[in-house]
Amino acid sequence: MFKGYNLKRYRKYVLPLVILILVTEGASIVCKADFTSLEQGLLKGVSFIGFMFPPDWSAFGEMVQPAFQSIVIAFLGTVFGTLLAIVFALFAASNITNKWVRNITRFFIGLERSLPEIIIVLLLIAAFGLGPMAGILTLTLGCIGMIGKLLADVIEELDPVMMESMASVGANKLQVIIFGVLPQIMPNLISYTLFRFEINIRLSVILGAVGAGGIGYELDYSFGMLQYHRAFTALLVIIAMIFGTEHLSQRLRNKIKMEGALK
Amino acid sequence: MIEVKNLTKVLPNGRKLLDGISFKVKKGEFVGILGPSGAGKTLTLRCLNGLLKPDSGEVIIDDELGIKHDICKVNKRELRHIRQRIGVIFQGYHLVKRLTALENVMIGRLGQINTFRSIIYGFTDEEAAEALKALEQVKIADLAGSKTGNLSGGEMQRVAIARAIFQSPTLLIADEPISNLDPSNAKTIMKLIRPLSEKIPVVGVFHQPEMTARYCSRVIAIKDGKVFYDGDPKLSNKKLAEIYGDELNLIEEREHMYMPNN
Repeated sequence: MFKGYNLKRYRKYVLPLVILILVTEGASIVCKADFTSLEQGLLKGVSFIGFMFPPDWSAFGEMVQPAFQSIVIAFLGTVFGTLLAIVFALFAASNITNKWVRNITRFFIGLERSLPEIIIVLLLIAAFGLGPMAGILTLTLGCIGMIGKLLADVIEELDPVMMESMASVGANKLQVIIFGVLPQIMPNLISYTLFRFEINIRLSVILGAVGAGGIGYELDYSFGMLQYHRAFTALLVIIAMIFGTEHLSQRLRNKIKMEGALK
Repeated sequence: MIEVKNLTKVLPNGRKLLDGISFKVKKGEFVGILGPSGAGKTLTLRCLNGLLKPDSGEVIIDDELGIKHDICKVNKRELRHIRQRIGVIFQGYHLVKRLTALENVMIGRLGQINTFRSIIYGFTDEEAAEALKALEQVKIADLAGSKTGNLSGGEMQRVAIARAIFQSPTLLIADEPISNLDPSNAKTIMKLIRPLSEKIPVVGVFHQPEMTARYCSRVIAIKDGKVFYDGDPKLSNKKLAEIYGDELNLIEEREHMYMPNN
């Protein structure tokens, strides 16, 4: 009755394991990965942190304004992006628009998501020049790609009888959206927006390093100028900033989860 | 008044879902539509407010001014206009669950107010007072501010009735309004719907012959897409057997459930 409860049952894993090992070995040869340098690199990394220590607190004053700018970039990108994402999500939901509009909108949303933010920001810097504008627009687009997709799926799963019953009192599409769709998707909308805000805070730091303003630029600049103690200060400010916003957004989301327990 | 003439609906494979359904319901009548599953009851009902277009036939409805419309032939705009005055109670829970009971009642008039005003949630105080009165009429005025999703099934159906009342409809249709309710709630809902038929025609699809016998003024039985019986709501067991065929056992089982004293 209980057959195969011995070592023999691992037989089927042997061949896949051998193949995996061979492929990994082959791949590391192809890309010239040298694992002997791992130990050396680790030691170098640790000594580098020691090198950066202690942070240069005199530079802290100069960090406050760029950090604030990073947060503002993330905030504006999230606000604009979410508002636009609602519109895109409505157009991308099959129970609101027709099949053609839905598929075309979904194609553009998908296209946006297939491009990494770092590439989008480089294109936008070419168009709008260095500065926060390129950063804000990049985050806006990112919001549309993520929140637009998630919300569209939520809208498509709304109760069809609910929508039908609103249409059957003579309400038009806009009224169905405002009184039926929006109230029902509100908990999801808020939770996605807060989640995306966390992502945008982190992204705004990275985008800053390539020239979209904010604290990321300070970090990049300090490294470039070999001012490691100053770079360490920037790093600590960034970590505090990300921890702070994540904590805040997590608390808000828990609160909403409790209130939104009914669906 | 509502008049249905010769409704037909045929599937592409030739199967006739509706096969020449005709009836007339005047004000003062509470008509219960009975029939086995798949007979075409709900389909007929969906034709009454234009949710479904029949292949042929007419559905003549008076609007609030007494003008006759054929709901199968009107354009989108006119359809929306006629629907403003058709109260609908669906099976189960069709309300917007995250809005309050009062807001759900107000949705009943969405079609009647201007789009711009509705977008800014601009209901007047009089409209709110009237909506509250509709909730009073179904005896749940104290729940006006509760989120609809927190209400019980019976309470939700009462909100749905209040919404239909608030519409000041010229016709009320109900699609299995008591199917998901326990016996005592089902009776309450029937008692709330019946007086509405004094002013307007009421047409409902039901699965409970014992309830239609008790509360409806007339019964129409639909079988295989045709009107099989039209008349007195009190049906003999023989007639019920003819209408339901093999499904009758199920109905009888439920009848026991509805009459625990017997």
